[in-house]
Parts: sequence; C-alpha cells; structure tokens
Amino acid sequence: MAKVVLTNLTKRWGDFVGVDNQSLEIHDKEFLVLLGPSGCGKTTTMRMIAGLEDPTAGEIRIGDRVVNDALPKDRDIAMVFQNYGLYPHMTIYDNIAYPLKVRGTPKPEIEPRVQKAAEQVELTEFLHRKPKALSGGQRQRVALARAIVRHPQVFLMDEPLSNLDAKLRVSMRAELKHLSHMLQVTTVYVTHDQIEAMTLADRVAVMKNGRIQQLGTPDEIYNDPANLFVAGFIGSPAMNLIEGRIENGVFVTQGGFAVTKVEAPNRSGLVLGVRPEDLTIVEPGTGDFDVPVYAFENTGESVQITGQFNRQRVIAKGDRYLKREIEEMTGMSVDQKHLYLFDQSSGERIRN
Amino acid sequence: MRDRHLKYLLVLPAVIVVFATAIWPLVESLRLSFYEGRLSRPAFPQSFLGVENYTWAFLEEPAFWNSVWVTATYTFWTVLLTTLLALGLALLLAPGGRLRVTVQSLLIIPFAMSPALIGVSFRFMFNPEFGLFDAFFGIVFPPLATISWLSDPTLAFWVCIMADVWGWIPFLTLVLIGGLASIPRDTIEAAQVDGASGWRVLKDVTLPQLVPVLAVVLILKAIFSLKTFDQVYMLTNGGPGTATQTLSHYVYFNGLKYSQIGYSAAVAWLMVIPMIFLTYAYAKFVFQKK
Ligand SMILES: Nc1ncnc2c1ncn2[C@@H]1O[C@H](COP(=O)(O)OP(=O)(O)OP(=O)(O)O)[C@@H](O)[C@H]1O
Ligand SMILES: [Mg+2]
Repeated sequence: MAKVVLTNLTKRWGDFVGVDNQSLEIHDKEFLVLLGPSGCGKTTTMRMIAGLEDPTAGEIRIGDRVVNDALPKDRDIAMVFQNYGLYPHMTIYDNIAYPLKVRGTPKPEIEPRVQKAAEQVELTEFLHRKPKALSGGQRQRVALARAIVRHPQVFLMDEPLSNLDAKLRVSMRAELKHLSHMLQVTTVYVTHDQIEAMTLADRVAVMKNGRIQQLGTPDEIYNDPANLFVAGFIGSPAMNLIEGRIENGVFVTQGGFAVTKVEAPNRSGLVLGVRPEDLTIVEPGTGDFDVPVYAFENTGESVQITGQFNRQRVIAKGDRYLKREIEEMTGMSVDQKHLYLFDQSSGERIRN
Repeated sequence: MRDRHLKYLLVLPAVIVVFATAIWPLVESLRLSFYEGRLSRPAFPQSFLGVENYTWAFLEEPAFWNSVWVTATYTFWTVLLTTLLALGLALLLAPGGRLRVTVQSLLIIPFAMSPALIGVSFRFMFNPEFGLFDAFFGIVFPPLATISWLSDPTLAFWVCIMADVWGWIPFLTLVLIGGLASIPRDTIEAAQVDGASGWRVLKDVTLPQLVPVLAVVLILKAIFSLKTFDQVYMLTNGGPGTATQTLSHYVYFNGLKYSQIGYSAAVAWLMVIPMIFLTYAYAKFVFQKK
C-alpha cells in the first residue's frame, strides 16, 4: 500500500497540452476519482502513473520511490483498462493467473489465489472459457479479478464501467465499492460519470483542459464548488446558472427581473448558481419570483419543472405528486442558504 | 426480369478470359502429361503413354529427385529465413516500434524489383572478377575474396536463397506490420502492467495473437518458394550442374530445352499436389470466420 504523489506533472504532444502542470497527492488507501469531460486528460494522467506514457515534465512518486524512469512492470500497480485488455487467446483462468505467473509466484500458490479472486467477482463457473464467450459485464469482472489477484500498491481503473448497460453499471458500482472497502488499496479511478464519482470516491479531482479544477470530498465538490465549471459539471440536472448583477441586496437578471434577495454588496458581471433541488415550487405570488412553466417532466421519483423568463431557463425539482401545466404561472422560492455567486468573466467563486 | 440475366452477360467476358488463359491450358497440360509429346517431331502429340511419364519421373530420373530435394530445402530455408527476418523487422517498424516510418518506404525497394532483375543483379554482385562481394571481401577479409561463389554447389545454393530472402522480406514485413497493428494495444499494455518483460509480452501476448497472420505469411511464402523459377534461371541457371535446379527449372528444361512437353507436363502436375494442400490451408486461414 502506498500513496501516490504527482508533482508538476505535464504532458505535451507538440504544442498540444494534454496535462498541464498538475500536482496531486493521493493518500494511502484512498479511493481517488478523476472526473471530467471527454478529452480533459484523465486517461493521460492515469497512463503516466502506470508508466504507459512518459511525462513531458514533472515527477511521479509511488510510495517513497520516484518512478519516472521505472517500467510499468516495476511500478507494482494493477490496471483495469477501459476496453478490459483481456488476452483473447487465454482462458479466463489464465487471464487472471497471468500477473502471478509472470512475476514468478510459486505454482502451488497460484491456483488458490486465482480461485479466490474469481470468487470475489463471482466468476468461478467461467474459468475455463475464453473472453470471447463472456458478456460485457463478465469480461469487466475478469479485468477486475486480474487486477485484484495480486496485492499491488495501487489500482488504476480507467472508466471500467463505461461499456456496461445502465442497470449493470449500478450493480457493478456497488460491487466495486464493496471490493475496494475489503481490499483497502490506494485506487485511482477515472470516469466522466458524476454519479460514479460521487458514490465511489473518498475524494474527487474535477478536471478540465488538463487542469484540476477542484479537489475535494464528494460533499465539498457538490456543496462547495470552487468555480463555475465545477458548479455546472456536477449535479443532474445541472445547477441553474443565472447571469446578472446585485442591486441593493437583490439579484437582478436581464430585463430587470428580480430573482432573489442576496446579502452582498452591489456588483455586476455575476452568475448566480442555484441547484434545482434548492428551488422550491410554490403557489404563484408566494415565492421569490413567478415564472411561466416551459416544460414539465416526470422522472418517476420526482418532477422537474422548467420555467422561463426572458431567455433564461431555470429548473426546479419538485415532489413527485406535484402537477403543473405548460404556460401556467408558478412560483419558485430560493433556499437562501444554498446560493452560489461566481464572477462571470473569471468563473471564480465569490464568497461573502 | 431481363436484369436477372444481364448479370451473367456482364461477367461473361471475364469468364471467357479466365477459361482461355487458365482453365483450358490447365486441362490441356493434364492431357499432354499422358502423351509422349516431343516438340521435335511432327504429329504432335504422339502416342498415348498412360501414366508412364509419371512413373518415369519417379523411377528412372535421379534429376527429378534432385530437383525435388533442391526445391524442398530451398523452400524450407527461404520460408524460415524470410519469415524470421521479416518478423524482426516488422517488430521494429510497427507502430510503437523503435524505427521511424521513413524506413518503411525504403523497405519497399527490393519488392519493386522483378525476380529476374534480382537474379541478374546478384549474379553481377557475386561475379569473381568484378563483383561487389569479392571486392568488398578483398578489403575486409581477403581470404574470402578468392571464392568463386557461383561455381561452388553449396555456395551457389545459398546465394540463391540469399537473393530470394532479400527480395521477399519487404512484402512479408508489410503484411506482418499490418498484423501487428491490428493487435489491440490494450492487451500489450495490460501485459506490461501485469509485470511482463518485453520478451514475455512478445512471447505470451503479441505472437499468439499474430498466429493467423503468421500462418498466412508462411503459406504464401511456401507457395511462392515452391514455384521459384525466374530468379534461379537468371542467377545460376540451375547450376553448377544441377545444384540449384528447382522443380520449375527442371520442368522448363525438359519441356523447352529438351522438347519433352509430355514429360514436363507430368512433372508440372506433380508440383500441383503440394500446391493444392497449401492453397487449401491458405484459403482456410484467410477466409475463416472471425
Ligand atoms: N498520443 C496522443 N497524441 C496527441 N494527443 C493526444 C494523444 N493522446 C491523447 N491526446 C489528447 O490529449 C487529450 C487528453 O486525452 P485523454 O485520453 O487523457 O482524455 P480523457 O480525459 O481520458 O477523455 P475521455 O473521457 O474521452 O477518455 C485529448 O484532447 C487527446 O486528444
Ligand atoms: Mg479516457
């Protein structure tokens, strides 16, 4: 077990910057999730930790050792690839046993360890098959078993659930969570699925354009976003972001529409952030503002009401028995305790 | 309705061409192989001999068995050496390999030369008086410079093999590069992370996944080696003596030099037997279901 420390890590291809001068310390036994949109450098970061990609600059430490010049095989890591990377010509048993065989584990030890790993991911009945004869979810579990059969210092997982259907993904997510709790190994996990990130992570690093935007617990990332990007990226439906200014303690958006009271000095060029669940749907006239209903959606567990004033839309989450007609006026009331203010040009959070 | 028949009309010219240039000569040569067909006499072909041409080859002709042996060893060594060298080169040149892409284009030059031209060039290069090799050895290692390469049976055989290997490496390398490129990178990287050294990755992951392509390469090269003619014809003309006389060369000699068309047709048909097996195996590998 070990911590992983990245210091000023950079990856460039020609002029293109994939990872931009990032520093990050992953604690011992921590489950760290790299979260961000496609192309933001998550895989590149992970591949540099694995030794599959050479950093342009910066340092990588695993445990107390600088591993920049170490081959992947000498870094004592296990990796789950996005497309599994199973050996098509080997049986499942041989796939799982390969890391042990190649590292010279004594023969009598191999068999029980493969059996145990296969049990942990519930694969024992498929051991004699080839990968081709397995479903996506089963292959996924083979890849996991191949990673956990050793006791590496670090697990690296690159979107391991992205090829699965929605239902399987949810159940595999729970299995992963359980497994990581049992194994207690430092893990770096890449995903662009925020639910995965929120549910699995001890800490989340939200990335964009090769830079970490915010590093924190899921709670901090969700409830205390550091900037506009994180605020807009985390949460589904996304946080309402309303451009406007503060005039005499009131947040005013385009067309002079007053949204809500805000206790802050006068200032323009602002973005107000409100999560849909912090907007309560009330009778017209009784909340902070009234809007005509633009869309009404029932997701089963709750309803989402989209209101529109001028060109600005806001989404509110409501109780599942609530009903509104399109074009009908509805009131919305804002939870004052959960308002976020951002600088419109820099995107930075303004804390008051 | 008429469209249905139109398609047959459209392929008809191709069918006629194939029939006239491939099928008919084949059938005709099979027929000839049962006759005494001497070009030097009038009334061609002459008397029907049954299988006598075939039994003659088997029982009465040491030269036939000599060329079988030459062809077999020639095929064995050229297939082995070309494949091994091409594999090595492909590993160096494949995406992620150690050499640059520009080398790939240089590589194609030998393959762009006709086998006959390769034969002529090698013959010049091994000429004892003004050849490149002896001149080269004259500087580097004088004892070798006096060797007359193409007059020694064993050396001449190996010079032929060398020329063949040199000419075929590029094509096989390109095929193998294609094969290597189609191996999922994931599997190779997974093996590296799992703890395999470069050599183990090659042995455990890369080569097993390359087997289908390797098989095709081996079979293709074997087919081409078995019917080697033009290169040997230009380089040694089968000699010294019959030391480098391949079956194709033997067929040519008997047919066109000694005018025994019937007999050489029979030998040519004997060559068909291993070809059929190889072609069958080739088709099996190429058209197998993925
Ligand atoms: N070998 C390469 N050469 C040039 N650019 C590359 C190379 N590999 C990746 N990139 C670029 O680096 C950026 C980061 O890529 P990376 O694979 O890390 O993204 P990612 O965050 O994993 O995205 P995704 O969620 O789609 O997997 C991308 O814009 C990509 O185009
Ligand atoms: Mg990726």
